[in-house]
Amino acid sequence: MNQHVIRILVVDDESAIRRALRPPLMELGFQVMEASRGEEALQTLRASQFDAVLLDVNMPGIGGIETLRRIRSFAPRLPILMLTVRDQEEEKVEALELGADDYVTKPFSTRELIARIRTAVRRVRTPARSEDSPIEIGELRLEPVKRTVTKRGLPVHLTRKEFDILHCLMSRAGRVITYARLLTAVWGADCREEVEYLRTFVRQLRKKIEDDPANPVYLLTDVYVGYRFADAQTFAEEEAEVAIPQSVPEDAP
Amino acid sequence: MSLSAGPIFSFAFSPPQRMRHLLKFFQDSPHARPVYEMVSNHFSLRSFPVGSVFGALRSRDAGPRVLLFILESALGIVAVILVAAFAHWSGWLLPVALLLYLLIVVPTALLCGFWQAVIVSLSVVFVHGYFTTHRSQANLAVDPANSVTLLVFVLVALVVSRLSARVNDHAREAESWGGQMRDLYELTRRTLELNLHVEPGPQLAELLHEIFALEAVAVFDADLHDVYQAGYWSVDPREMAQNVYYFGSSDDDPATGLGRRVVRLGSVPVGSLVVRGDTSPLTNNAIASLIAITFDRYRAFANESRIETERRTEQLRATVLDSLAHAYKTPLTAIRAASTGLGEMRHLSPGQADLVALIDEQTSLLGDLTTRLLTTARLDAGEIKIHATQVGVAPLIEEVVISLKDRLASMKVVIDIPDDGLVLPCDRQLMVMLLTQYVDNACKYSIFGSPITIRVVSAKAEVIFSVHSYSPMIPMADRERIFNRYYRSSTQSNRTSGTGIGLSVAKRVAQIHHGYVWVTSDEHEGTTFFAAIPASARKESA
Repeated sequence: MNQHVIRILVVDDESAIRRALRPPLMELGFQVMEASRGEEALQTLRASQFDAVLLDVNMPGIGGIETLRRIRSFAPRLPILMLTVRDQEEEKVEALELGADDYVTKPFSTRELIARIRTAVRRVRTPARSEDSPIEIGELRLEPVKRTVTKRGLPVHLTRKEFDILHCLMSRAGRVITYARLLTAVWGADCREEVEYLRTFVRQLRKKIEDDPANPVYLLTDVYVGYRFADAQTFAEEEAEVAIPQSVPEDAP
Repeated sequence: MSLSAGPIFSFAFSPPQRMRHLLKFFQDSPHARPVYEMVSNHFSLRSFPVGSVFGALRSRDAGPRVLLFILESALGIVAVILVAAFAHWSGWLLPVALLLYLLIVVPTALLCGFWQAVIVSLSVVFVHGYFTTHRSQANLAVDPANSVTLLVFVLVALVVSRLSARVNDHAREAESWGGQMRDLYELTRRTLELNLHVEPGPQLAELLHEIFALEAVAVFDADLHDVYQAGYWSVDPREMAQNVYYFGSSDDDPATGLGRRVVRLGSVPVGSLVVRGDTSPLTNNAIASLIAITFDRYRAFANESRIETERRTEQLRATVLDSLAHAYKTPLTAIRAASTGLGEMRHLSPGQADLVALIDEQTSLLGDLTTRLLTTARLDAGEIKIHATQVGVAPLIEEVVISLKDRLASMKVVIDIPDDGLVLPCDRQLMVMLLTQYVDNACKYSIFGSPITIRVVSAKAEVIFSVHSYSPMIPMADRERIFNRYYRSSTQSNRTSGTGIGLSVAKRVAQIHHGYVWVTSDEHEGTTFFAAIPASARKESA
């Protein structure tokens, strides 16, 4: 999809993971650089340009979260994907709040990882969309100015809050929006803890926009972290096979 | 040693206990001697009846005591002869002489003993009679008043002797009691110092044998079902000790010196005690009580140590599991990244692609297992604290179903929630784990094409979640056990993959919420797993 080479920095203290990622990424046209520590990554990033960073959360030294914070201080738009493990939901949320673009949970599939990297890179490269321009994802179309939503051309009746939630999610489609961020965006900072409230709204919303609310394809849950609206690219290019890459825990206990 | 009752001469008849000592001397046993010494230390030979003296002759140490007896009597007699001679030559009247005789008899009774005093008193009759045979005014045969006077003297001497002997006896008895009290105190003190890391029986037997200088001791510990003995038993005391316990026969047999006690804790028999030796029934009772207390302390201590050991083992296990699970994560990630990366490189033959898919699939399974292990380890180690919030039940169920949609793809899932707005104070994450486990389980075992029903019922004080599926009946015997870790129902163990961990997680989660789990299973009605969670939040955590 991207005409020129994507330069990517893989930061992980485990050489096995770096070794496993390098060949397929290179095969698919990425240019891969490696760093084993946060400090090293910061040096490399200052020295040369990159299109994306894969950053492990658990590393000796300053660690992934602090590295993220420091990268963001000098590269606010650089796509950063965090590599996390399952039981670190708080760190995932923290990373997202600090400006990470996305995260994948170990053990991840390389296919899913590549899809995420591409989405993140594409987002940065696409010229910024006007706030008021309509958003069309799959069969859904949202008109911010008219505050209307249509599905297959038919109007979907939403309440004000439902519309706000949908708008917030669709305008950042493909990215995880943490509960706190979504709550703050729709209800204000006072309500950032009211996750149950949000869940009820999302439930109603799914009933209105999904064909099968129990099997959502648009409004996806990232368990314990937040919600994610399916990427437009998913419907444009790919088949349903990778429709819900990360949002479903394949090993829920 | 009650000798005080009865007439003066009842003393002369050997009471059973003294007979026992007599019997003892006839035992040609090395154990007879120390016991005899012990007894003779407590109860001076001077107060012993003739029988004992006779018995003492058999003993090596009895010789000097008999000699002393003879010497004391002889001295008394010599004193009497001197006084009699003096009175004779001085021409004193009988009453004056008798007063002097009394001065000899009473100290003899006080210092030497009753029998020495008796011999001295009788010697007075003969000696005085001898000296006065030729004096008409003092001749006993001539003047009956003299005979009466002498008779009164003998009686008075005997009464005085008896009284003084009794005083001595009481003093010795008190001393003996004091000794036994001291021994009991010593036993109490030493039992408190017992090493409770090992069974108390052998230590107690040795202690009793040592402190009370018993001939033989047998202690039966009913809990450990073992008899511990100390000292010399001519017959094996095991059966006897056990019989005492089983038949509840507590008694003292003075003839054999055996004391039998059932050791009771409250009203519950916990063992028995058999002693042979010189202890009073009261002392035996006290010893039995001390044994009971020691047994109880040992049990409490053992129980405490067991709980502590279990807790430590559990903690260690959890730590090991935790670190293992973490250690597995990195290689698993590398394998999965490599295998899926290989698949992405797109120049694999169909066979190669198949193999790569297999690696990927199995790595996912391994990852799944690792995550479960980690969760269980954390739950067991008590690391997971409950973060109770008001959780909407309907979204909760939905989330679970959505998270399992890959597995539920070919299944029909029925969700039955009567009250859509029902909220429950619980830890959302933990409840998702519980319900995921139930639904996943139903998925695994249900008959192909049959529906899975997830139902929520709000009872008075609790919310009951149930997951029903048409799966093979779980045998009655397994219904409790399937909630135990690593237990897999015998009917299902070979049919599907699984770790045997999941349901234990469900149980633990319910417990953390102060709720409970159960299962019903029927061949026709199918199997339903339940979890009841209290509808009102409780403050304390797991």
